[in-house]
Amino acid sequence: MEQEVNGILVAAHELKAPLSVLRQLALSFDFEEPAPSLEHIRSEMVSVSERAIKQVNDLTKIARLEDGLFTMEPVSVRAVCDDVTRELDYLFRYNKRELFVKYSNKAKLVTANRDLLHSVVYNFLLNAMHYSGEETRSELCINDCHDKVKISVRDFGPALPMDVWREMKRGWIKKPTSIAMRPGSSGLGLYIASKFSRYMNANVGAVRHRDGTSFFIELPVSTQARLF
Amino acid sequence: MIFVIDDDEIMAECIARAVKKETKVFSNAITAISALNDEVPELIFLDILLDGPDGFTFLNELASYQDTAKIPIVIVTSLDVSNVDLSQYNVVGILSKDNMTPQEIKKYVDQI
Repeated sequence: MEQEVNGILVAAHELKAPLSVLRQLALSFDFEEPAPSLEHIRSEMVSVSERAIKQVNDLTKIARLEDGLFTMEPVSVRAVCDDVTRELDYLFRYNKRELFVKYSNKAKLVTANRDLLHSVVYNFLLNAMHYSGEETRSELCINDCHDKVKISVRDFGPALPMDVWREMKRGWIKKPTSIAMRPGSSGLGLYIASKFSRYMNANVGAVRHRDGTSFFIELPVSTQARLF
Repeated sequence: MIFVIDDDEIMAECIARAVKKETKVFSNAITAISALNDEVPELIFLDILLDGPDGFTFLNELASYQDTAKIPIVIVTSLDVSNVDLSQYNVVGILSKDNMTPQEIKKYVDQI
């Protein structure tokens, strides 16, 4: 097991180096006469490599989950979701998708690891964007749910296959390949989200709609929040 | 003169371009240490994972000589060094290869 983890870490580093170089090369372009089309290409190169770097970093984190390095602490759900939507706003607009955000939670803090929760929401939203058609929207909602806070991401893409829904219902996804669930996906993002959710003792799942899918994570309200 | 020490040739070239000043690029710590005998740079951009002796070995070498101990160093790495005690070295900044920009690189040069 330890050898496997070390292998993942080495592979992640090997993958990250060329991605970082690609990103840096794109940023290094000096256009004598800036053309909008070239700027678009540059932005896309930077954006694609940044997303890939993020996934490689998440894989590294998965390899380190067993070391218990990720502290659980009171985390502001809205702040995390705000960070993610700010980060992905450009990508949604660039791909002609709408990102609709609705916060109706009163509980402010949950017990989670900020970085891991950020990755879960990020991967849910990226997945939603990928499966939503042009000019359609994805919805990010935060709701109170008894002693938990629920973050859900709804897309209007193809329905989730039954076997994957069952895996999500069970609480976690064993391996990314089995989630070739929807066309054009390796399922890596959902696998990462599933692993991180499990580490944070959060409920994770999916709801099948006739016109799409919602993925959600439920996190316990931080007891420290009651002090305020 | 600014030194860039990185075993990734293209990354080193990207940093050198962003610096917009005269630079010398080294692919390993040993050749960079040798070059210090001839010239003391104003600033060094240093990668940590290098072929042969790593960036920390280079930092120790630098700190051990009076004339090089005060050279400002910017660490450029994809490793998380936030928990490493760098107080004994003259590290003026840390840039992550994951998200650094040419502007951030240039900012350190402008501060010299």
